[in-house]
Amino acid sequence: MDLWDFIVQRWDRLLPEAALHASAVIQCTIIAAVAGVALGVAVYRSPAGSALATALTSAILTVPSFALLGLLIPVLGLGVPPTVVALVLYALLPIVRNTIVGLSGVDSAITDAARGIGMNRLRVLTRVELRLAWPAILTGIRVSTQLLMGIAAIAAYAKGPGLGTEIFSGLARAGSANATNQALAGTLGIVVLALLVDGVFVLVGRLTVSRGIRD
Amino acid sequence: MTALEARARRADRMRLLGQPVAVVLLVGGVLAWAFTRDLDSIERANINAAKLLRDTWDHLVLSVVVTALVLAVAVPVGVAVTRRWARWAAPVVLGIATVGQAAPAVGVLVLFFLWTEWEGLWAAALPIALYSLLPVLRNTVVGIQSVDPALVEAGRGIGMSGGAVLRRIELPLAVPLILAGLRTSLVLAVGTATLGAFVNGGGLGLLIDTGYKLNRPTVLVTGAVLAVGLALLVDWLGAVAERGLGPKGLR
Repeated sequence: MDLWDFIVQRWDRLLPEAALHASAVIQCTIIAAVAGVALGVAVYRSPAGSALATALTSAILTVPSFALLGLLIPVLGLGVPPTVVALVLYALLPIVRNTIVGLSGVDSAITDAARGIGMNRLRVLTRVELRLAWPAILTGIRVSTQLLMGIAAIAAYAKGPGLGTEIFSGLARAGSANATNQALAGTLGIVVLALLVDGVFVLVGRLTVSRGIRD
Repeated sequence: MTALEARARRADRMRLLGQPVAVVLLVGGVLAWAFTRDLDSIERANINAAKLLRDTWDHLVLSVVVTALVLAVAVPVGVAVTRRWARWAAPVVLGIATVGQAAPAVGVLVLFFLWTEWEGLWAAALPIALYSLLPVLRNTVVGIQSVDPALVEAGRGIGMSGGAVLRRIELPLAVPLILAGLRTSLVLAVGTATLGAFVNGGGLGLLIDTGYKLNRPTVLVTGAVLAVGLALLVDWLGAVAERGLGPKGLR
């Protein structure tokens, strides 16, 4: 059976797996974005704090994903919990780093002006600084999503949801008729998902970046 | 130096000091814990000095082979697509590499195994090298492209050949970026090498896989922590090398 026949025949299983894969990645990215931006906002004014946050999150990113997953299995069991924790941890660095870079890149004359027209700290942050830093933050979120697409595939080892299931099942059935088709469908499916989601980010950027700084 | 660069440097310095300490504490602690536990026969077969050393060694060899492959392919290709006669190819090659990077590492590894039916070191090293190629390739291209054209002109002006300009001006100036890319590739390689066990490539992933399949958390945790320690250590060595290896004029 060639790949195309295989995909058509298994469509009713591949489609939900692709949907689960995308939804796991997107939900974990959202959690990481909220946590990462909060962390970035909390530390960006302190040089020592932002250095520490960057150092810690980049050390996490160095940890091999298969090893982190292995460490989480004895603690959290199998399935969704270790997948979510691993994905959220890996997504943090690009978001935290870009939040800090974006926020510290805001011209202090602009924040002074905002203070001068009577905005309080919170309003300066939400109406001025975060909006100016948003393109950088969005880039961080986009990088994280691409990263998670691949890591989510490894999470299938711990019975996590998604297209990685096809890859590991192909490996387990090496030599049988559809092993290669399974692994190929899983791998290509993830590439397609990654490209699709990347396209969505371009659209989100168009819609959410403040009109004044759009290029 | 801008405030932002100062912060990035500070984060680097923190990792330069903190990382080796964290590795020693983490690995030392877990090894002490594993060796003082009451181990059954399966655990004893996996948690002993000889086996742990062999798996760590296999892991390192795999990572070094991958890095050598990456250097041997990515730098020449990166240099080639910045030559005048092949400049049109640079965006094409980088585009293919970027799309390729979106492929999951475990998928590339499994597909390579299913297609070639190879097992062992090379079955793991070739696909992992393919997967870790992009950072060095991209940084070589960007590094050479961002050399000031006036310097290249000056080199030509004092009578250097194209090859001499490349060797004595373009490459030395691109070295810091190439090294940064190599460090990223190396860390990717050490991390992805944990997956080598799926195609009998050995390494510390073997302990993780054994511990998981035979339900021996001690073996699993020992393998995982050694892999984490090794990755952090290699990343640290990369950071140290990056500081020491760049051309003196650029430091």
